Amino acid sequence: MKKRIFLASILGALLLTFGMAGTASASGESVGSCAIEEIEAFEEETGLSLHDLHGGGNEEALETLSDSVEGCIEAPSPIIPEWNEVIWGGGAFLVLLALMMWKGFPAVQKIMNQRSEQIASDLDQADQAKADAQAVKAQYEAELADAKSEASRIIEEARQQAEGLRSDLQARAESDIAEMRNQASVDIEAARDRAMSDLQAEVSDIVVGAAERVVEANLDAKTQAQLIENYINQVGSS
Amino acid sequence: MSEERITKYAEAVLSVASAENGGAEVEDELFRFARAVEGSDDLRRTLSDSKIPAARRQQIVEDLIGGQATPATTAVISMIVAAGRGGDIHRIADEVVALGAASRAKAVAEVYSVIELTDDQQARLATSLQSATGKEVEIKVIIDESVMGGLLVQIEDEVIDGTVRTRLKQLREAF
Repeated sequence: MKKRIFLASILGALLLTFGMAGTASASGESVGSCAIEEIEAFEEETGLSLHDLHGGGNEEALETLSDSVEGCIEAPSPIIPEWNEVIWGGGAFLVLLALMMWKGFPAVQKIMNQRSEQIASDLDQADQAKADAQAVKAQYEAELADAKSEASRIIEEARQQAEGLRSDLQARAESDIAEMRNQASVDIEAARDRAMSDLQAEVSDIVVGAAERVVEANLDAKTQAQLIENYINQVGSS
Repeated sequence: MSEERITKYAEAVLSVASAENGGAEVEDELFRFARAVEGSDDLRRTLSDSKIPAARRQQIVEDLIGGQATPATTAVISMIVAAGRGGDIHRIADEVVALGAASRAKAVAEVYSVIELTDDQQARLATSLQSATGKEVEIKVIIDESVMGGLLVQIEDEVIDGTVRTRLKQLREAF
């Protein structure tokens, strides 16, 4: 909207400048009008018309008129404009300048200020975004560093655990082996003792069984009576 | 059966024996019969079987004892069996012997042997035991072939073992 107002102001100023300049040019300052005015002034002064000059005998009047008309067709100054053009052009310029100072320049200034503010805001946002990006980057780098540190710590911890586990398993295996070895020794010793005991019991059974059979075979009535006598005597002597 | 009832049965037996003037003989015969019953599971079950009529059980007792025991002993055993106490006759007999010996201020010496001891052996054994234990004892011989030879004497809680069975056991343990 403001941009359209600014363009309309510029267009109006241009129309005023060229339109008023055209009007000034058509107000009698042309060669034709000047010639017509000179001719009419000649006819009033001399009382002669142009038709009368075509006849003979009026060479002086014709020469006067020719000089007057020639005065009209003298070329204007290439540097200094006509005063009416200066007036109209200056007025148009002032009007245009006033319009521009009244509406155009503030609008342009406002737009420029807005644009500057927008650019500054954009720059601030860009800086903020950059700062945010840098913060995110720093955070990411910090997190990455933390992740690397954590990964290193986890790896180290896992390595230590694995080492500890290996040591424990090795110690346990050695302990189990030692225990199994001791148990095997104990079992072997027990089996040997058991075998010896069984063998001794078997030998004992054989020997005692043989002794029992010998004793039973010899325990006749006489022996029984002797055993009783021995018992009585032993009890009595004790 | 309770100890009190055993004692009352024993006292009753002793009263009968005393009335018949055969106390020591009844004690000895009752003791021997009780040991015979204790050594035979069939006889013990038969005498303690309540399904068998009392008269039948008494008849079995009389058939077993016959004329080998005094009438007082036979009567006492018949009374015990008829009362349904055949299964406890060994406990009654032990109590009778103990009460009888106590009444005579003596201790009972249960002598386990493979063969019967002569009266002379019993007398000398009683003398030896008296000198060894300081107690005057009455010998009750129990035939037990498991002792294999020699004697085992038990006086109250004291045991004097001189059997071949124990010697062989010691020999086995020595190996």
